[in-house]
Amino acid sequence: MYKATKLVIITERVILEGVTDLIEAGGATGWTHVDAGGRGSRGKRSARRPGVGGMMGNVKIEVIVSDHEKAEAIMTSVADQYFGNYSGITYIEPVEILRPYKFAV
Amino acid sequence: MDLLLDILSTMVAQFQKPTLAFLIGGMMLAAMGSKFEVPEPVYKFIVILLLLKVGIGAGISVREADFVELVIPAIGAAIVGVVIVLIGMRTLARWRGVSPMDGMATAGLFGAVSASTLAAGMAMLDGEGIAYEGFIGALYPFMDIAALVTAIVLARLSAKRKTATAPTPSGDGTMTLGGTVAGPVPDPSEHWDLVRGILVDTLRSPAISALLLGLALGIFARPDPVYESFYEPLFRGLLSILMLIMGMEAWSRLSELRKVAHAYILYGLAAPLVHGALGFLVGLGVHHITGFSAGGVVLLAVMAASSSDISGPPTLRGALPKANPSAYVGTSTGLGTPVAILSIPLFMALADALIGF
Repeated sequence: MYKATKLVIITERVILEGVTDLIEAGGATGWTHVDAGGRGSRGKRSARRPGVGGMMGNVKIEVIVSDHEKAEAIMTSVADQYFGNYSGITYIEPVEILRPYKFAV
Repeated sequence: MDLLLDILSTMVAQFQKPTLAFLIGGMMLAAMGSKFEVPEPVYKFIVILLLLKVGIGAGISVREADFVELVIPAIGAAIVGVVIVLIGMRTLARWRGVSPMDGMATAGLFGAVSASTLAAGMAMLDGEGIAYEGFIGALYPFMDIAALVTAIVLARLSAKRKTATAPTPSGDGTMTLGGTVAGPVPDPSEHWDLVRGILVDTLRSPAISALLLGLALGIFARPDPVYESFYEPLFRGLLSILMLIMGMEAWSRLSELRKVAHAYILYGLAAPLVHGALGFLVGLGVHHITGFSAGGVVLLAVMAASSSDISGPPTLRGALPKANPSAYVGTSTGLGTPVAILSIPLFMALADALIGF
């Protein structure tokens, strides 16, 4: 097994495209997103309830990158650009991966 | 006195008809804390179906419509969209305790159109056997886009004026949708970029694109068999489920309004009626110019009274990130939409009294 870094971003579904653009610009080779719901400082958000065009829904985006610096750079750029006006949290976790070439640029 | 009694009896009768009864039923379910829920994919499917139905129906009628008969109501619809936003800018956005950005976003949402409210209006007219122009659905994008573009551009400009420190125009600041607003005084090309960004965003939004697809299919193809055998018969039944969802949604959004200024509550209650009256007046004008039907006047009023619930909110969230979505979504979904739907019988009674079906 090899060591890598997982970056997790939970934020509003409306900005998914903008955030994934930043992730790709930051040198990640891919990302995964799932619909998410929960409660935070900006109130409760549901993944299931029919909302206004799915707007009030959240997404959880996971990115695996080869090193910690890269993850931190992506995290900072997303927070700088979006988290002033949109709700979101982001954190980093160490992970172990099988095929390191999948995450190398 | 007779007029008032007429209006009152029409309204009472309509409250018992499926459209309004299901809406009120949904509100009651949510109010009692029921766990009943309609899954999101079902909701989306119903909305897609309604939009395609409205679009195809309009497209089929556009084929046979006279150009002038079509253009004048379309211009009227666009004017109504713009005026609604201007009213909001002069009233709600200036209120004490309301941030101008939130106020403008709310006005934009109220100027934009709700397909479900329009569909509810159509179903109620159908139920009474009242005729209206088949192309009425084609007016939807004119009012919707006009209102959203006006609201976003005005809100961005006023935010810019506040942040701009240099009094003389200087600059090559570029602006992207969803980007920062602070910068030098705008130049014309920048305005155009902004408007183009909003237009592209609106045209690609799920509601408008489904409606435009329906329109195109109706105009250029011959979808009549599938329209008559599938879309038309399913329409009323599915609308009743949609009304149930909207009633529940309205009730649960009301709680968000507790956190925002009282001005929103006043606006949410009064604006649909004022806007509907404005739409009604414009419709009345069109009626005198082109012989626009009384049913058409009612639907124009309904469109004006409604506030966007599908494509408007995400467009505004993307274009005006500083505006608080709890304020504008809560006001429109929690108050604006139910008030607009419940006031449809009022516009029907007015049209009956002033024009006659």
